[in-house]
Amino acid sequence: MKMNRRAFIKACGIMTGYAVLGLNITKEAVASSMSFVGLRQTSVYAADANAKIYAIRKSQDNPMIKKIYDKKDGFLHEGPCGHMSHHLLHTHYIDRSAKVAALKDRGVTLNF
Amino acid sequence: MRLIEGVMYQNNAPKGVDPDSIYFVQVDATKCEACGTCEEVCATGAIQSINEDGIRSVVDPVACMNCGQCLASCPYGAIYEGVSYVDEIFEKLKDPDTIVVSMPAPAVRYGLGECFGAPTGTYVGGKMHTALRQLGFNYIWDNEFTADVTIMEEGTELIQRVQEQGKKDARPLPQFTSCCPGWVKFTETFYPDLMPNLSSCKSPIGMLGPLSKTYGAHETHTEAKKIYTVSIMPCIAKKYEGLRPELADSGFRDTDATINTRELAYMIKTAGINFNSLPDQKPDAVLGDSTGAATIFGTSGGVMEAALRLAYEVLSGKKLSDPNIKVVRTHEGINTADVKVPGFGTVKIAVASGLDNAAKLCDEVRAGKSPYHFIEVMTCPGGCVNGGGQPIDPDVRASLFSSTVAQINKRFRARKVTA
Repeated sequence: MKMNRRAFIKACGIMTGYAVLGLNITKEAVASSMSFVGLRQTSVYAADANAKIYAIRKSQDNPMIKKIYDKKDGFLHEGPCGHMSHHLLHTHYIDRSAKVAALKDRGVTLNF
Repeated sequence: MRLIEGVMYQNNAPKGVDPDSIYFVQVDATKCEACGTCEEVCATGAIQSINEDGIRSVVDPVACMNCGQCLASCPYGAIYEGVSYVDEIFEKLKDPDTIVVSMPAPAVRYGLGECFGAPTGTYVGGKMHTALRQLGFNYIWDNEFTADVTIMEEGTELIQRVQEQGKKDARPLPQFTSCCPGWVKFTETFYPDLMPNLSSCKSPIGMLGPLSKTYGAHETHTEAKKIYTVSIMPCIAKKYEGLRPELADSGFRDTDATINTRELAYMIKTAGINFNSLPDQKPDAVLGDSTGAATIFGTSGGVMEAALRLAYEVLSGKKLSDPNIKVVRTHEGINTADVKVPGFGTVKIAVASGLDNAAKLCDEVRAGKSPYHFIEVMTCPGGCVNGGGQPIDPDVRASLFSSTVAQINKRFRARKVTA
């Protein structure tokens, strides 16, 4: 394909414009969403540090935690990772890789 | 289809189906402007172009981790949710034979207020509990309580793993957190060889369901079979987790319904409750009281900080005078730190925000080069406060400039395709 000078300069202009605009937009979008998320994160830490909202700051000091793990008559009296904990509060995981492998065999491209 | 806080929902409350077959998020092809924003924010590449015009679609639910970051970032509101239990919950709330239990996640209380005009991030925990009471929930239990239980279980598991190193059948290090359902599915799908590194602890909501129907039922003298548990999450992937067939350890389904922050706001509005004028109330104590360590589960680095507040005291036998462990707080990317614990040594930790960052740490573990003891992963950048079920950032939809640019991008890409 042959290109005259005018078309070449025009193409360069469009490409530069696109590159600058595209880059800035991505930057701006990420910065704005992170500042939005940042506000929520700041609020979480402010509540954690606010004694009027959370008087206690460590899980092990929660009186209801002490009650449920009470060694004498607590529901989870064997303590964390005890028998009852393993029955109700722990789980196992399932290998799901065969399903994506089948997807890839069908020609789908994924990032991992 | 129904519009809830700017997002379309399909009225669909699945029971007993394989969650791998459900599209929890999907693109409405008639609204898609082919700008490609969803594809850019998707870590796995599950959302792709399906035709020459660049219209996007989720290729298959098995490749989708259901995080909903595509939905939260779409400037056109073209991505909808495929599952909503709202109508079923309204029915159960009216039914006198059903004891409906609320289970709201930490991050919900930092997003819900935005649906009622409050500034971004306003804490509305007290109002949320009152609103749940007024909606007719019989017990206001709170997922933050089981965040505290998670710390006890997961912290203990970590200490056990550290102590058993070198022995026969020792569980491997690093230990990964298992609170985030997108991350758990990601491990099962793309890094199944690292499943032994995942903490065996259920997520906080995975713990509150069975505790409600056993301990909670006992403490309140309620018949367990009458209890209907409603998980209220900042998250879409939790709808997948609620349907996992293995989560039925109470003898019943552990989680009966899952909604997110936007759907709770919709329920409060539909019931005619004036949210902003509500007084602050506390949850019901038995499975409701919580701590600061529980609430920080809502942000990236929070589970790590909460676990360290326990691990420090258990390992050193000393009181941790300042519970702020700021080095682990993470806004984006990967954060690593060495935490010195007297009488024990150094605890090496990493916090990953976003699945592409998590994959980098996974590759290190796979290669046997990971120096860490404990790794926290959150699928959504910044953590649950930025979950796919939270109120949408108004800037995402409102910016005329970015939607204009999206249009230009669309034309540019369309031209490239036809040329």
